[in-house]
Amino acid sequence: MKRKGLRFYFRIYRKILAQDLKSKMSYRADFIISTIGMIFTNIAGFVSFWILFRSFPEVNGWGYHEILFLYGFSLISLTPVQCFFDNNWSLRMYVYSGDFIKYCFRPINLFFYYQSEVFDVKGLGQLAFGLGTLIYSWNRIGLPFTPVMILKTVVFLITASLIMIAVMNAAAATCFWITNSFYVMDLALKFKDYARYPITIFSPFFRFIFTFLMPIAFIAYYPSLVILRPDEVPLLSWLSPLFGCVFFWLSYKFWMYGAMKYSGTGS
Amino acid sequence: MKIKRYLALTRAGILESFQYRLAMLVMIAGNLLYLIVVYFFWKAVYASSGSDVVNGMTFSDTLIYLVLATALFNFMEMYTVWEIGRNIQSGKIVLDLLKPMRYRSYLFWSYSGTLATQFVFTFLPTFVIVCIATNGAVPLGVNLLYFAVSVVMAVIINYAVDFMTGTVCLYTESIWGINIMKQVIVLLLSGATIPVAFFPEGMKRAVGYMPFQSIYNTPLTILLNGKPDFTEVLEALGTQAFWCIVLLILSSLFWKVSLRKITVNGG
Repeated sequence: MKRKGLRFYFRIYRKILAQDLKSKMSYRADFIISTIGMIFTNIAGFVSFWILFRSFPEVNGWGYHEILFLYGFSLISLTPVQCFFDNNWSLRMYVYSGDFIKYCFRPINLFFYYQSEVFDVKGLGQLAFGLGTLIYSWNRIGLPFTPVMILKTVVFLITASLIMIAVMNAAAATCFWITNSFYVMDLALKFKDYARYPITIFSPFFRFIFTFLMPIAFIAYYPSLVILRPDEVPLLSWLSPLFGCVFFWLSYKFWMYGAMKYSGTGS
Repeated sequence: MKIKRYLALTRAGILESFQYRLAMLVMIAGNLLYLIVVYFFWKAVYASSGSDVVNGMTFSDTLIYLVLATALFNFMEMYTVWEIGRNIQSGKIVLDLLKPMRYRSYLFWSYSGTLATQFVFTFLPTFVIVCIATNGAVPLGVNLLYFAVSVVMAVIINYAVDFMTGTVCLYTESIWGINIMKQVIVLLLSGATIPVAFFPEGMKRAVGYMPFQSIYNTPLTILLNGKPDFTEVLEALGTQAFWCIVLLILSSLFWKVSLRKITVNGG
């Protein structure tokens, strides 16, 4: 079979996306309520943040605006996983009921087809919050606003997103082996809340774990160092784009391995 | 005679939750991870603040408070909103309504088995570990008795809030959005994410007029006070009892009114 090019996949994605949005629009009330729920979640996050830092001006040498920067950074880097990979949450249902088999018969990449089926618009609200926070703290810290800085920010934001996508892919793929992967995914989702803290608060042992075994430090901390503390960037920060790609590739292989093993339910 | 049929549901629930041993393990692992993050984060926060007592709470107070708040959350979370919402969507609710038991009681008692196993397998171990790890910072006296009474009322209030939120699903057919809004509001305003003692004055007063702090803040404050003033405790428990009664009546009325609206597709 001839390999299909990027252009082909891009065109297909647009078509599937349009269908998904149409079907979402038919449940308008649900859509509006979910969006409000998402906004609530973000506001509550900010309120807790604000309450906390009223009492404490800094944490471990990190000022209020710097922590806010990490927060905004993590919100933006979580947007792609929310928008484009939300169908991972339904994977266990499809696998359990046997409906997953329908994806296996399409002449396009299985992983691509499965993930493209759902686009979660709610993630865009999160993106807006994240951008606002990032720009505000950027100004307050007084970071220079140059093309190089922006390029760096974009590259490292993509890096951070790849890590989070990889974590969720791997968590979702566990359902090919265990029936109820919801708890695994729920656990993985909690990672995003922990990613907002500077890794230096942990003891060396946990710093190692959160860097290499559960790569949550790459979701905000290591990538933002490049922008926030340009004088003391550790090697790990520069390596993070590479890690992002590697983790993503590994999670893709793991997901596909599970899917290829899938034998249906016989119905 | 009547209690016997309720206990039959409890027993079924206990047996059912033993079927999901892996889920329980993952949950315990997730909690452990959360506790590690909370521990290091607050340690860094207290270390940078330069004083041992912030807003009347020491580091170990805050830690005990937050750890047990999480333990309470895991033990009380009944996924009632999801249960009701899904039963409405699938139509199963019609069968439940036909049972010779009020729906609200049926739902509560069929979950009570999980409540019991969660209490024994997650809350008690966490409590014991916290007692040992903090070297007796948890006062063990008459406050434990008050705490037990308070927790029972907290469970009832939490269930009433959940049940009311679930009833809203009869109108909206949106589960995720409604549930996330409820969860965000309850967790923030009840002091489960940040102790109420840290709230700014005006917010503290506002929260005092709401039922949410009776779910987490009241039991935990009672527990942490080794030399309880009897009138103070009585006042706290009285407030809880007040909310118990008000919310039970409200949720029951709301349910009765809403039940006329119910539309079930097929089922």
